[in-house]
Amino acid sequence: MITVKDLVKTYETPIKSGSILRDIIDRQYKKNIALNHISFEIDENEFVGFIGPNGAGKTTTMKILSGILYPTEGSTKVLGYTPFEKNNKFLKQIAFVMGQKNQMLWELPAIDTFYLNKEIYEIGDASFKQRLQEMVELLACESFIDQPVKTLSLGQRMRVELIASLLHKPKILFLDEPTIGLDIFAQAAIIKFLKEYQSRYKTTVMLTSHYMQDVQRLAKRIIMIDHGTIIFDGMLKDLIRDYSEEKIINIIMDEPLEKLPAFISHYRHAYTFPQLKITIQKSQLHKILPQILESVAYNDVTIEDEHIEDIIKKIFKKKNTSS
Amino acid sequence: MKKNFKLFWLFSTYSIKSAFQQRLGVVLFTLGKLLRFVVFFIFVYQLLSKTRFLAGYNINQTIVFYLTYTMIDNLGQLLFREVYRFRPLIVSGDFSGILIKPYHPFMRILIGGIDVLDVILTLPYTILLVYFIQKAGGFTFLTAIIYIGLIINSLVLTMAFHILVLSLGILTTEVDHATLIYRDLSRMGSVPMDIYKEPLRTLLTFVIPIGIMMSIPVKGLFGILTWNVFLYSVAFCIIFLIGSLTIWKKALMRYQSWGG
Repeated sequence: MITVKDLVKTYETPIKSGSILRDIIDRQYKKNIALNHISFEIDENEFVGFIGPNGAGKTTTMKILSGILYPTEGSTKVLGYTPFEKNNKFLKQIAFVMGQKNQMLWELPAIDTFYLNKEIYEIGDASFKQRLQEMVELLACESFIDQPVKTLSLGQRMRVELIASLLHKPKILFLDEPTIGLDIFAQAAIIKFLKEYQSRYKTTVMLTSHYMQDVQRLAKRIIMIDHGTIIFDGMLKDLIRDYSEEKIINIIMDEPLEKLPAFISHYRHAYTFPQLKITIQKSQLHKILPQILESVAYNDVTIEDEHIEDIIKKIFKKKNTSS
Repeated sequence: MKKNFKLFWLFSTYSIKSAFQQRLGVVLFTLGKLLRFVVFFIFVYQLLSKTRFLAGYNINQTIVFYLTYTMIDNLGQLLFREVYRFRPLIVSGDFSGILIKPYHPFMRILIGGIDVLDVILTLPYTILLVYFIQKAGGFTFLTAIIYIGLIINSLVLTMAFHILVLSLGILTTEVDHATLIYRDLSRMGSVPMDIYKEPLRTLLTFVIPIGIMMSIPVKGLFGILTWNVFLYSVAFCIIFLIGSLTIWKKALMRYQSWGG
């Protein structure tokens, strides 16, 4: 469905020479490599989390795949089309939701954008009506689709953006930071919707988000990118298995401890009654756990995997140190 | 084609709806435009009521030159108003949202924002133009057809210029100054090109080409246009359009989609 081979994208940025005259007459440019020979494939019905720090090349990749940007080198095929050729048949099968951009008619009610998109994507009357009703119900936005978009809150705007982008049932959905800036309730509503939508329509989704919990809840496969290079491409569970080196023991106590057992001080820990959190190496778990349980009166004990954010941070750190 | 007309209609409707969200703005801008038109109209009228002729044209003919310029300028602004709003789309990166839609981007960024103020003004301009053309006389059915054909030619040239401005917008984010230069230069076409001295006259007529856009249609109407100049106008327009479209394609390849 999506094939990327040896993709390269470079941007040119002007270099200031210190002389205004020279900058005007003979401006020099620096080439910045945004993507450096990346290759991957995405199949139908996959939900892929595309993660990496700012400027890693995530959004650039999605913009090339949707035909917005022209690649410097390499080849991309999406649904059998070369995206930059902007074939209307191709564009009718994709959607791109950008959390930081507005694609609605700003001064007018959201419903006007929906009608406009109906014509743009040539959606039949019956199909449009049914689809709109379904989306409006799923995203609970009946009460504000008649309000001018400029009067909506960010969370409400993102919901109507999603409806506008999905009315034509795209086969591929590109999501660039769809929950950025949203409060936890709006964020949860969007995530719930995306999960439900993808399982219902089997749409291929590529998601970038700085909220790792979003990625963890939605994507099975992760592509990690840094400085324009892919540093991991695989299943999320494999990432946790291969890169998670620590476990977190979370103990809820019955009574406050007068003094922490001495051996605990050898490990990273945090204690605020009633909770004691100890971070240990995965391999030490079987040795340490009985010791802990013997030495403290506990009410509840849970063992958690290392947080995904921490695993990813470690991978990036490791990669940057080695390079 | 049917879809494009429907989209053009929808974009125009929404643009008008959006403009009417600020009703006071509509009233003030319309008054401003009318005032500018009336002041210049009175100036031309007063000038020629004393001198009787301007570069060999009588008062009615000179007014036809002015009204033809006003009409082309008005239609250009009416149709291509969205170009004046292109810079924010580039700077914010919102242009990316247009590029992923299954229609030609020109549907939105070139002709996607009919200016309601100019729509309102088209009617009085047309009435005045028809009135003064009749008053000026000296035209035949054939020259009237040539006149209309050359006005269309001028509009295509105006479109090509605006496409060039859009390309410049992508390459440099510069739109405002380019449109200001265009507007200042085109204003020189509000009077017959014959009033300018050589080599400025040739430069304005054939190179820049304000004359092709504003003066030559009127000369066609009055039957004082040679076939060579007529053909040159059409050829210039075609070449300019092809050039603009080529630059547009190159510019799209260099689009950087700023803003995350």
